[in-house]
Amino acid sequence: MRRHNKHLDFEINLIPCIDLLSVCICFLLLTAVWLHIGSMNVKQAVGGQSQAETVKKPLLWVYMGQGGQLTFNVQQSSLVPKALANLKLPGLNGQANLAELAKVLTQITAKDPGLKTALIQPQAQSSYEEIIGLMDEFKKQGVTDLGVAPL
Amino acid sequence: MLASQSVLQDTALQSALGAQSVLQPKYGKWKRTIVADLLLTALIDAFSILVIFLLMSFSSAGDILLVGKGQELPKASLASTLERNPVVKLEEGKIYLENQEVSQDSLVGALLGLRKQFLESHPGEEYPGILMIQGDRRLKYDQLNQIILAASHAGFSDIRFAVLMK
Repeated sequence: MRRHNKHLDFEINLIPCIDLLSVCICFLLLTAVWLHIGSMNVKQAVGGQSQAETVKKPLLWVYMGQGGQLTFNVQQSSLVPKALANLKLPGLNGQANLAELAKVLTQITAKDPGLKTALIQPQAQSSYEEIIGLMDEFKKQGVTDLGVAPL
Repeated sequence: MLASQSVLQDTALQSALGAQSVLQPKYGKWKRTIVADLLLTALIDAFSILVIFLLMSFSSAGDILLVGKGQELPKASLASTLERNPVVKLEEGKIYLENQEVSQDSLVGALLGLRKQFLESHPGEEYPGILMIQGDRRLKYDQLNQIILAASHAGFSDIRFAVLMK
């Protein structure tokens, strides 16, 4: 049997690796985006269609009141019971109670899974953050077609 | 074995420190060898971790929106990816369209101008009508309302609110 005299241990030249990694780090540091900004998409009606042409879909109106109070009004849906279709949700510490909102939305969408559209009617003094918070909660519950009603 | 018998061994093709030690040996002054081995493995480990971290936070979209110093965007967890669209920014009570200050009265005209520019540069294409709104999280809706109304008047049906991803 032939014996191998060559050494099995050898050294890799690490200098090119360091060069490559340094270039990578410099490039990534220069192009890094530290704030991850996204967008909350809203579809607004601009009045291009007549009412007769518009397809009747289940629609949820949410009115933002004083102290975070939310009033729900489900329209064009016969599946949602009246108790849920017209509901008032009191606020919590002057803000909308998002935990309760999630529960109510879960109940409404369970009754009518076709409900995908919601229109939010804020007040003049409603804060932007609160409106976005509501939209985020709607999206989490599968209500994806959102709109904001102007004053 | 090969290295010790090589012709290069007898030539001056060595490192500066090595050559100096051969040509002008200073055995009396320096007893220790000058050339020290650096432990490069730890350095490469650290560099690799840095590269992985930076790659994870890398965004190919780059900075589309510039957020001012005093401005805080609202936070949302289910936000869509940002795309390049006309931006209306509300900052310190002023309205900026594509970083140009516009008044409330001229906003509709300016938006219509954008639409006209697009239709001229892209003949035959339908205008997407997308507008990005960037504002501080503490803004009141009556300030946002004027922009939403102006956008509706100018035919921008798709409004996107800039948010920070949670």
